[in-house]
Amino acid sequence: MRTITLRPLASHLVPIEAEALTADGLAKLSVEEMETLDLWLGNRRTKLCDLFAIETDGGPAPIEETTIILDGDFSRVKRIGERMSAGEIHALGDLGMHAGAGMSGGNILVKGSASDWLGREMRGGSIEVKGDAGNYVGSGYRGERCGMRGGSILVRGSAGVFLGEHMCGGSIHVLGNAGDYPGAANGGGTISIGGDTHLPGAEMTKGSISVGGRTTVLPGFQFQDEVEVEGLTYRRYVGDLVENGKGELLLALAQQSA
Amino acid sequence: MIIKGGVVYDPANGVLGEEMDICIDGGVVAEAGGGPTIDARGMLVLPGGVDAHSHIAGPKLNAGRIMRPDDGRIGTEPLRGLCRPCTGYTVPNSPAIGYRYARMGYTTVFEAATPIIESRHTHEELEAIPILDKGALTLFGSNWTVMECVGEKDLPKLSAYVAWGLRASRGYGVKIVNPGGGEAWGFGSNVKGLHDPVPEFNVTPAEIIHELARANERLCLPHSIHLHFNNLGKPGNYTTAIETLDLLKDIVPSRDRQAVHVTHMQFSAYGGTGWRDFESKAPEIADYYNKNDHATMDMGQIIFGSATTMTADGPLEYANARLLHQKWSNHDIELEESSGVVPLVYIRGSPVNAVQWAIGLELALLTEDPWKVLLTTDNPNGGPFVKYPGVIALLMSHKRREEEMAKLPEMLSKRSVIGSIDRELGWAEIAVMTRAAPARVLGLKEKGHLGVGADGDVSIYEIDPREVDPGSDPALVERAFTQAKYTIKAGEVVSRDGEIVGIPQGRTFWTDASVPEEDMARLMTSLKEKFEKYYSIQMSNYMVQEAYLSRPVAVRAGVEVAQ
Amino acid sequence: MIHEDVICSFCGCLCDDIRVETNDEGIVKVKGACRLGSSKILGHGPGHGRISKPMIRQDGELVEVGYQEAYDRAASILKAAKRPLLYGWASTVCEAHEEGVLLAEEIGAVIDSTATVCHGPSVIGVEEKGLAGATLGQVKNRADLILFWGCNPAEAHPRHMRRYSSNSTGRFTPEGRKGRTVVVIDVRETRTARLADRFIRIDPGTDYQVISALRLILAGKAEILGDEVCGLPKGMLVDLVDILKKARFGAIFFGLGLTHSRGRYKNIDCALSLTAELNAHTKFMIMPMRGHYNVAGIGQVMAWEGGYPMSVDYSRGAPYFNPGETAACDLLARREADAALIIASDPASNFPRSIVEALAEIPVIQIDPYENPTTLLADVVIPCAIAGVEVEGTAYRMDGLPLRMRKVIESDYPSDEEILKEIRESARRLGDDH
Repeated sequence: MRTITLRPLASHLVPIEAEALTADGLAKLSVEEMETLDLWLGNRRTKLCDLFAIETDGGPAPIEETTIILDGDFSRVKRIGERMSAGEIHALGDLGMHAGAGMSGGNILVKGSASDWLGREMRGGSIEVKGDAGNYVGSGYRGERCGMRGGSILVRGSAGVFLGEHMCGGSIHVLGNAGDYPGAANGGGTISIGGDTHLPGAEMTKGSISVGGRTTVLPGFQFQDEVEVEGLTYRRYVGDLVENGKGELLLALAQQSA
Repeated sequence: MIIKGGVVYDPANGVLGEEMDICIDGGVVAEAGGGPTIDARGMLVLPGGVDAHSHIAGPKLNAGRIMRPDDGRIGTEPLRGLCRPCTGYTVPNSPAIGYRYARMGYTTVFEAATPIIESRHTHEELEAIPILDKGALTLFGSNWTVMECVGEKDLPKLSAYVAWGLRASRGYGVKIVNPGGGEAWGFGSNVKGLHDPVPEFNVTPAEIIHELARANERLCLPHSIHLHFNNLGKPGNYTTAIETLDLLKDIVPSRDRQAVHVTHMQFSAYGGTGWRDFESKAPEIADYYNKNDHATMDMGQIIFGSATTMTADGPLEYANARLLHQKWSNHDIELEESSGVVPLVYIRGSPVNAVQWAIGLELALLTEDPWKVLLTTDNPNGGPFVKYPGVIALLMSHKRREEEMAKLPEMLSKRSVIGSIDRELGWAEIAVMTRAAPARVLGLKEKGHLGVGADGDVSIYEIDPREVDPGSDPALVERAFTQAKYTIKAGEVVSRDGEIVGIPQGRTFWTDASVPEEDMARLMTSLKEKFEKYYSIQMSNYMVQEAYLSRPVAVRAGVEVAQ
Repeated sequence: MIHEDVICSFCGCLCDDIRVETNDEGIVKVKGACRLGSSKILGHGPGHGRISKPMIRQDGELVEVGYQEAYDRAASILKAAKRPLLYGWASTVCEAHEEGVLLAEEIGAVIDSTATVCHGPSVIGVEEKGLAGATLGQVKNRADLILFWGCNPAEAHPRHMRRYSSNSTGRFTPEGRKGRTVVVIDVRETRTARLADRFIRIDPGTDYQVISALRLILAGKAEILGDEVCGLPKGMLVDLVDILKKARFGAIFFGLGLTHSRGRYKNIDCALSLTAELNAHTKFMIMPMRGHYNVAGIGQVMAWEGGYPMSVDYSRGAPYFNPGETAACDLLARREADAALIIASDPASNFPRSIVEALAEIPVIQIDPYENPTTLLADVVIPCAIAGVEVEGTAYRMDGLPLRMRKVIESDYPSDEEILKEIRESARRLGDDH
């Protein structure tokens, strides 16, 4: 087990891009080697050591046994964990945009809140956020048909708009509320929202969305029946029929308003 | 400069693999010369590549870029050396188009289709493409004035309009796409065949094609009409192809060239009655070309992987979008044309795509005379131009074709004869199909060859044609053509080992055709009425102004031009 | 002197039949333009808030300087910035836009246009669905049904209806307005609504559901709808679909009512799909009512130069496009931008207050002919010639049709294109410090 801890040396309003910060990228490196890695501060190529203090408790280790600890405010550090395949990343505070984008394995834990595009185009692995998450959690890229394909995301707080847009696999669970249009253009995957939302499953063709709180329902979702899932009763809808969709929308009986 | 000791293929001048020097002086090939020397010993030397049909500039290409940020991010390359940042794979940005063609050894590329009223846009984009010499073919096939002149059987007025339209668009030649269909599409329908009258105008596609061909020859234009057949993309459409070709047998070319150039023939060589019994009719088309000399064609080869279809065949694109459940952009252009853009993916596992793949190759391999077949993918409809080297490898190597066919559905052997073709094209034939023939077909006298006076555009490939057997080493062939050792443009090295080292501004060719004053005067009367009543802009704002061409080359033509 | 067929430089209609009379003093008369266009064209002289000389802010006050000093100061501000923003562009010509892209590449900036507060969502919708469109002449000659959704051309694009849409005549539309059905859908009864044959008032924020319902009815699934969709009776929606289907050629025009209401680009995305689906029944097209006269142009230029029509981030040397992250409002709302060049636009007037505050905190370079609220925030002010009046160049109409703006009077001011080029050369001389 190897732990690598990073602490920001200063706070910057200009965002940092740090796709080099993955267990895949750091596990085999010494501290000296890590310090010379290129990150970007806005349009300036900057050495890692000029932005972060690094500490580690060991030498090179297998990727899957490496944990990166982000100690401090990383809310403006983007692309951490991008394309990671194994290992752990623990953010003790907030984490910036595109965290875990395209990841295929490993785990990201955010103790604070995560910014937009968390787990964009994710393929595998898992992400957990104790706080809130921003917009476009688990979504795709503009114009692409399929975004998140696999893996799982858990947001204990609330999430922003377009949760899981263009999802075609994997699962996203938000315990709190989700903003407008979760599960838009979905072709698969599972989304559950514990709280409220607005117009889920727009143009959905496959997959499943469940909503525990209140929500509006699109005209293209047709009521089927009531079902019980884990002791709770849900109204089950199929849609979005504008796309001849066979997606499933489950709305908790107790709460929903038309 | 002197290019020393290369193995030169210059089929237009009968040079077929001779070890010789090429001298360039003042930007043109010369008898002798001084200046820097390039050691080309053991390397293949060809005239700079000429692409006679590619979608490189203009409204529909940009529509493709705007609707496909997903394509944009694929080909992203940062700022580097002389190169500006690049994006895109099937719809690259303008700088990328210049660099990527130049790296492959191409020096002249023609935009396949520009709508007259929006040609300002086409030229803005052409100007933004570095290095290459270029031109654009002007769309005429669904144009109100054209159809009216055809209906009135007024060839002089039609000729005047073609001349005027070329000037208004600073275009090079006459492009015809699904003639009449663009107008029918204005109200959502299409023409079903050559003799199906265009609604409201009551002329048939056959008449439009035939009369435009006559006007083309009356004006002695350097290029023949450039034709995208009706019924493109439909199973069984090879009959339309042959019927249309027959229609043009009586056209006498005014110059030493074909009477009609058929574009992306692959899409028009289809048999069967639907997608289930879809099959290749390339042998029939090739047979026709073997027996007739009035036509040329370009392949329109498909490449497996991502493509973006874009064409003035508006109804076809709508049909594509519905069939493939894809995003769809459409743009109909008042009084003139239609167009559509639809992304798609050609998949090896698809029986239809497999047959399409075979058809392009069959056309090239079964047509005996390579001067009649140009290598294209109808970029990016069949696939992006950066994949041309792979097509060259397939044409030169039966082994490569077998390797590819092994990955395709078995039924291919029942729908196409590709498996039974042994022919492998040689260096000379490839030089013809990618350089000499496109230049001749377009009527570009100083392109596609290395005779004295030709433009000093040369590509040098790191492959010795005397040592390599392309049939057994297609990977080497593909690699060599992917990146020229040197690409030389007007005597300046622009690309070396894949690195762009020069970014001169290329020239834009257009045709300035003259007609008798009285014909133009009659045309003006009816044109003025169009602007007063129908166009949404004023005639004085219509023509492409001089400011849009920084290095124009006006090719003279006209009713009074001598042969 | 009389100048015929001058192209108006106000809105996306790009009317090209304007008659301008000039004398030694300048423009004296404008004929044919609407009042918006007229005042734009007439308002060019020194009495109209025209900035006379470049200025640099020193100790809180703007002090006049020479052009070179202003260029050098602008260049050094931009070069020192780690996340510079180049914003505006909509009211100048494409030749300037090309220089803007080159500048963004040179200094590693984010470049974005006013589309970000206007039809940016439409662009995103197009990226999902494509756009079934046509030039305005097609509408004039063919359309027998016009649907204005969330836009008010009678006030925002005054000549649109007469020149191009509901009141125009053409080859297949000789009866003009009489031969057309005009429908308006909006949240309130606008002037355009009062001119329509049918006005449907919808509740704010319900456009998506309504369009979705129309699509369902069109697809033959009306039976799954309740009696009402967001307060509109189902029967009314069924009728509307019927009207749409019976058209020979339908044209949908939409504006900020659709792009700026809840759902934003999803609204457009849905409208684009509705249009595509209508084509299975009859001919239909859709068009965004672009506001500024050349906002379409900056989109075209950015797309062919860099692959994307707006919100492009060049900070890492390669174009990166992600509205929501790389749009001007995103950068400013998050306080990421540490310098801004504002050209041919007035964000201090158009942006939300919090974003204007963000602009106030960073060095701002303004390139504009006129003083406006953005000047109050500027640290470097560079006056330019007025594109389309004093400078020629290309502009793209709302339907993508390109025209060459004319020059009707001489000017001593440099053009936007020249200014940007000078700034870029000055930046290059400052050397590479990346």
